Amino acid sequence: MSFKAPAEGVLLPPYRILDLTGPEAVFCGKLLADYGADVVKVEPPGGDPTRNKAPFIGDEVGIDRSSYFLFYNTNKRSVTIDIDTPKGQELFKKLAKTADVLIESFPVGHMESKGLGFDSLNAINPSLVMASVTPFGQTGPWSGYQSSDLISLAASGFMQITGDPDGPPLRQGNEQSHFPGAQYAAAAIMGALFYRDMQGGGGQHIDVSQQEAMIAYYTDAHPALAWMQRGENVTRVGTNSTLVIPLGAYPSSDGWISAGIITPREWENLSQWMYEVTGNEEILNDDYKGGNQDRAPFNDIITALVIDFTTRFTSEELFHQGQERNLVFIPVNTVSDLLVDPQLEASNFWFDIDHAEAGTLRYPLGVFDSEEVSPTTNPAPHLGQDNEAILCGELGLSQSELFSLRSQGVV
Amino acid sequence: MSDPKKPLTGIRILELGPYVALPMTGRILASLGAEVIKVETNKVLDEMNFIPAWSRGGGQPEFQRAKKRITIDVRTPDGMEVFKELVKVSDVFMTNFRRNILDRWGIDFPELRRLRPDIILMWQTGLGGIGPYYTYKSYGILVQHMGGVSLMSGDEGEPPATINTSYSDYHTGVFQPVAIMGALLRRSLTGQPATMESSIFKSGAVTAGPSLLDYQSNGRLPRRIGNRDPNAAPHGVYQCLGQDRWCAIAVKTDMQWEAFCNVIGNPEWCRDQEFVSLESRLTNQDRLDQLVSDWASTQEAEDTMIRMQEAGVPASIVSQGKDLYESEHLKARAFYRSTPFYLAERERPAYEWDGKEGIAAANPPKLSESPMDYGDYSNIGEDNDYVFKEILGLSLTEIDRLTESQSLF
Repeated sequence: MSFKAPAEGVLLPPYRILDLTGPEAVFCGKLLADYGADVVKVEPPGGDPTRNKAPFIGDEVGIDRSSYFLFYNTNKRSVTIDIDTPKGQELFKKLAKTADVLIESFPVGHMESKGLGFDSLNAINPSLVMASVTPFGQTGPWSGYQSSDLISLAASGFMQITGDPDGPPLRQGNEQSHFPGAQYAAAAIMGALFYRDMQGGGGQHIDVSQQEAMIAYYTDAHPALAWMQRGENVTRVGTNSTLVIPLGAYPSSDGWISAGIITPREWENLSQWMYEVTGNEEILNDDYKGGNQDRAPFNDIITALVIDFTTRFTSEELFHQGQERNLVFIPVNTVSDLLVDPQLEASNFWFDIDHAEAGTLRYPLGVFDSEEVSPTTNPAPHLGQDNEAILCGELGLSQSELFSLRSQGVV
Repeated sequence: MSDPKKPLTGIRILELGPYVALPMTGRILASLGAEVIKVETNKVLDEMNFIPAWSRGGGQPEFQRAKKRITIDVRTPDGMEVFKELVKVSDVFMTNFRRNILDRWGIDFPELRRLRPDIILMWQTGLGGIGPYYTYKSYGILVQHMGGVSLMSGDEGEPPATINTSYSDYHTGVFQPVAIMGALLRRSLTGQPATMESSIFKSGAVTAGPSLLDYQSNGRLPRRIGNRDPNAAPHGVYQCLGQDRWCAIAVKTDMQWEAFCNVIGNPEWCRDQEFVSLESRLTNQDRLDQLVSDWASTQEAEDTMIRMQEAGVPASIVSQGKDLYESEHLKARAFYRSTPFYLAERERPAYEWDGKEGIAAANPPKLSESPMDYGDYSNIGEDNDYVFKEILGLSLTEIDRLTESQSLF
């Protein structure tokens, strides 16, 4: 077990974490690896399938060139073990004996079918924390359902509230469903390690359902409660929220700007500014004054007045001038805007990582900034690059044993 | 022991701040066993009490359960004294106020460190506590636009595809417990505390994901492809019978395609050359989507999902509130549970609000040995006596005096 002091400037103890996840939870291991855990990606001998996922660096296909693989596997090491074979399973168990944590996202029952379920692993390593992230969890009538990013977005209801009211429910373009479950798993793993190492507890199994994690990621809309209380089905509202009015994305003279007026004071400031600029007294109507709910009956007319105002400015003007009046106007960015954003630049968000094939690229590792601790900056691993170091150096296999496993296709 | 140890038993966390991300962080840590003391004031209530879903009991129980909720007006000298006494007995202080506001109130991180040398500080803001926008105010629901996600969703030329929720807040809310627990473990191993600065903007921008690398290496911005997928077809949501009823279907492999065709009754078009391989289905997906839509428009959404899943095709209804509330699956996992809540009223202090019964989501992770506590739900200020008397040792007379002067109000 690795409850040892982290290296200077590193947040996490060097916990050994075995990462067998697919896209459903690959971000969990990345988050822990970026902050100093020793995350070992266990890949099949042919490589993790996402190594073949487009787009590739320089649009050149190659198992070390997938932008997806490079992004989600920073700071991990790689061993190859075929856990579908008995020899591979034996080897994996040896590795599991040395591990603090195992993260997996196989279909429910898959690990058991390989003799690698929680009970079997717990018998050989009682302090192992195992986290399973699956679309619908380990139990319940839907636990055997197949999923994908789209299906998880649909099942959680996330899509029901994304997009235009007259259009179809929309998918978030960043494979959103792969974040909430993975992040909750990381928090639960930290809790389980705390329980084990600070409270004298043992290992345990953590069951995370993507569907539940995603429902927990939009509780300010709370469709189940709205149904229970009022028989209302919460649905899509387009670019303008119904939670707060006005709030949403509005056209500016050069693109889009988002804005949110939440406190009564903010409404005073905005309506005054709108009046100064447009000369339209309608906006000063007493009916519109008050908190965010008070304007709900006037959503359409207020939205039209807001657009008449925002289209007279550039997005950048509204962003900065709004702040001078204590109002929140926020730019609508694309990926290229993020890479040159002065705020991200100033707050240690980006870290350059050099990879033998991908070259030097900027990665967003600085989820938080600290003078005491920083993220580590190793690139995603080459396939099986740590086989020898881990299997021979740490597990004690001889070179000839490794050679034999290789020739049998186990490694 | 009647009260078995939880992961964070013995850890005390002081929370100061409204909205979503910070309270969510506190809820997770509280459910893992930390004593989380949430500082609020009746004089300036969290606006989130008044947005439509929340004023009727949504959100607040999810984010505030399992905490000790107290009222201190930190803008008063007496209130500030009490606040500082709490800092001295806390392991973690976390806040989401910007520096100009903290300065105005006299909350200064180096001074907190002097009061409690090993305290861990988590300072969360909207856009960033340092850097050019450090004084800027923001709201998490808008940061879905700033972080790049809304312009990589939906279709080309359409307005930013917006989700009606505080998108980036949730990412921040779950990142922070990981960092805080890491810092607590590190402190116990090295004796060193840490100060961490996080922002909703940064958490949101991380989720822009691999497209950040694609842009750097290939100069390409994410294509907005709606509900389509470069590696699956048919892939989308299809409108079924009923009001706003949709079923999502994702067919990736040839085996799934075969199963899909069987479920829809093997119409002749399934055998068209246009749809014979994934590649051809992708090329001809406009026609394919039209044919699937025509079929789906005569079907029940839930029935479609069940038949597809039984045949091994990934499919799901687009869940509405009714589906979630009545879901046998979520019931079997005890996901939604009953909770009290309080009907928020601007003109009255929280202790005069009416109590009601609603539901709240359980913490998603299920830990087999140290389960996360659903926890009790206190109203704002309900734990004043416990915290001021039992923890700080103030006398009841003193508490009364400070309450009357509105320092502890």
